[in-house]
Amino acid sequence: MRRLLSYPRSTIEWSAVVVACLIVLMALFGRWFAPFDALQIDFRNKLKAPSFVHLLGTDETGRDVLSRLLFGAQLTLSSTLTVLVIVVLIGCTIGLFSALIGGAIDNLLMRLADIWLGFPPLILALGFASALGASLEAAILALVLSWWPNYARLTRMVASDILARKFIASADALGVPLTRKIFAYLIPNAFDVMIVQVSLDVSAVMLAISGLSFIGVGAQIPAPEWGAMIADGRSYVSKAWWIVSAPGLMIFLTAVSFNIIGDMLRRELDPTLRRDRREGPAGA
Amino acid sequence: MLEAAAPLLELDDVSVALNDGARPMVSGISLSIRPREVFGVVGESGSGKTLLARTIFGLHDEAHVAGGRISFNGEELPQHGRHRAAAAKLLGHDVGFVPQDPFSSLNPSMRVGKQITEALYLAKGMPMHAAQTRERAIGVLAEVGIPEPELAFNQFPDQFSGGMRQRIVFAIALSQEPKLLVADEPTTALDAITQRRVIELILERSRTHNLAVLLITHNLELLRQSVDRIAVLYGGQLHNIVKSADVGQRPLHPYTEALFACIPSKGRTLAEIRSIPGEPVGAGFGTTGCAFASRCGFAVETCRTARLPLNDGKGESFSACLLGRGAEP
Amino acid sequence: MSQGVPMVELEGVAKRFSRRAFVQSRSFALHDISLTVERGEVVGILGESGSGKSTVANIITRLTAYDSGSYRFEGRDMKRLSRAESFEFKSKVQIVFQDPYGSLNPRATVQDSLLEALVLHQRGLSRQQRLAQAARLFEEVGLGSQSSARYPHAFSGGQRQRIAIARALAVQPELLVCDEPLSSLDVSIQAQILELFVRLIRDRHLTIIFISHDVSVMRLLCDRVYVMNQGRIVESGRTSDVLEHPKDDYTARLLEAVY
Repeated sequence: MRRLLSYPRSTIEWSAVVVACLIVLMALFGRWFAPFDALQIDFRNKLKAPSFVHLLGTDETGRDVLSRLLFGAQLTLSSTLTVLVIVVLIGCTIGLFSALIGGAIDNLLMRLADIWLGFPPLILALGFASALGASLEAAILALVLSWWPNYARLTRMVASDILARKFIASADALGVPLTRKIFAYLIPNAFDVMIVQVSLDVSAVMLAISGLSFIGVGAQIPAPEWGAMIADGRSYVSKAWWIVSAPGLMIFLTAVSFNIIGDMLRRELDPTLRRDRREGPAGA
Repeated sequence: MLEAAAPLLELDDVSVALNDGARPMVSGISLSIRPREVFGVVGESGSGKTLLARTIFGLHDEAHVAGGRISFNGEELPQHGRHRAAAAKLLGHDVGFVPQDPFSSLNPSMRVGKQITEALYLAKGMPMHAAQTRERAIGVLAEVGIPEPELAFNQFPDQFSGGMRQRIVFAIALSQEPKLLVADEPTTALDAITQRRVIELILERSRTHNLAVLLITHNLELLRQSVDRIAVLYGGQLHNIVKSADVGQRPLHPYTEALFACIPSKGRTLAEIRSIPGEPVGAGFGTTGCAFASRCGFAVETCRTARLPLNDGKGESFSACLLGRGAEP
Repeated sequence: MSQGVPMVELEGVAKRFSRRAFVQSRSFALHDISLTVERGEVVGILGESGSGKSTVANIITRLTAYDSGSYRFEGRDMKRLSRAESFEFKSKVQIVFQDPYGSLNPRATVQDSLLEALVLHQRGLSRQQRLAQAARLFEEVGLGSQSSARYPHAFSGGQRQRIAIARALAVQPELLVCDEPLSSLDVSIQAQILELFVRLIRDRHLTIIFISHDVSVMRLLCDRVYVMNQGRIVESGRTSDVLEHPKDDYTARLLEAVY
């Protein structure tokens, strides 16, 4: 833990960590702090500017923007997390299998992943929307299907690198069984690279989900997903800017802070750093 | 026969620090190399020998000269910020460099001949495409033992083996007719047979061209058989400068002796090899106390606390031992 | 030296490496490798990088397969082994590699790496017994004063090599194959590890195959030596004979080149 706390090196990085933590807390507990029901319509109070009652104003149907924001946090982040967890599970398993089995099958799987990467996620999402009906679930499915090859390729590359190292040959000479090789050798040594990729992808996936919701193939009305909120408030930008700005700002902050955290992790966990070696950097 | 000529390279209490570090990694280095002298620098990893050699010639990206004076051919090099630029000017003119890795020191996308003619242009202003320049380049390739130099002139580096590539790098350095050749572990990456051939080539050609040579290596026995004097570094400190001829003839600095004692050289039995207990100390030890004290059989309390003496340059040899071991009788 | 079946017997072993497109490595092959190692001997394989000596080591430890010829270990043919037989083999033959920085799992404590070897090959020990055994091994390789509950990066190159040796010894092997174990170490540390090997040979009556390019180390440690060049064995015999009266031209040139 102490080592983790030493990672942030500048005010920006500390701010990013704080902001990310706050957003996660918001996603977990926000709903209990919401002053209003996110779906509560109240036409008498529509398009009200921010005030003490409605801290972030109301939207075109009188719903409290702040409450929607808090509920939306959970929606947006949980869908992001769902995509990432499934993608990591599928992609890493395939990648690991590919690296371990090697040979023609490895080649085949990776070429398959390459081809699959050619599918633009947007087209896929639109396809699902028309086939299954537009919904957040459809958007998640579309993203999972278009994102897994990234992790398959990354895992395969990282695993192959690790498998080529001498301590794996030592383990083979010792007769270490495969399961232990995977869980005690491959995964711990791949973890650093993977965690960097995942943190960078948090913002990418989130933007993708919000983007899909924005164009209407993701979360549907009245779900307070942030992208959908921006879509809802699009027509009122000049009259009631708060409807669009609040979720927009949240998306921005989330994306930027996780990106900064990802960069920070990449710097700190870079395996090419010669921290591990006893020889000084001078190579004297 | 080395006459008492003015030194070619002179270091006076030089220290080297990393750009992002506080204390110097190498300190208190005073030595001088005469024209045409073959001078060896030996040290284990962490001794600072490569750091020192590269930084004084402005070749290190992450380190700088933190103190002391450096003079080349009688002229003092500027200090601090302007040192690097001034040192860089020396390279390719008065100082030639043969680095360790033969596989990355040549431009893989440029023909060998062009790399030499380019060097000739930079050093001597010879026009790159003139016939005379080409002749010179082919000549120097022949000199370093490259077979069929006219053909080699048009080939790319990856068509040559590691040993041949090192010869080409040496050829580039030779062509610029430097006064000093700095060879940083030039043969470590090569096999034993090639290693001896390349070292012998470097030494023999340097003799013919009247070059001084600064040879940095971890191979002590190689130095003893090949060079005039040897400087021994440990923990970023200069501990000993000895004449190769003196090795085995008179007592040397305890570290030097310990180092020789642990080499399994020809004719030695297992019982005659004595390892040095403990772990080598890294660079950055500073000037207080002797870096070797923790592993030295003769160390007393003062060895850990007293300031290490500097080489006053008056003799051919020098010993930094606080107990006076290895000093010239 | 014991009579009877040699411990290791390679006869006419050959291996082809297919040249991979776009990879610059020189492809080489092993030709007609025949060597024997008797129990209790220290046999050296001397050669430069690219001579194929490491490949021979990998074949002997069954980390690599061979294309033709025969390999008999303690009289048994090694061509096709069942899973159980393969594992039994690993209890008898272990390897120590050249690079001390790469041979230990960076994400496991050194103690865990040692315990792992014990768990696999010294069945029937309780955790307490294993911990005690690990501590004994640590002591045996000269690291008794160090805590083994740390990660490899906390140790120096020489110490890591000792740990690798301890791990290999944990299985109580009969044969230890050492692939250039000293080459990546500093001069003063080489002498230390050399002394460790001498002590281990004496105390444990180990049979050792020692691979190196260092003629001097061969001379000091090995009873017999095989000289390899470009995938072939060019000379073999008692170390003193080969190193003082080489019959092969390559061997002579190699010996001449050593400082």
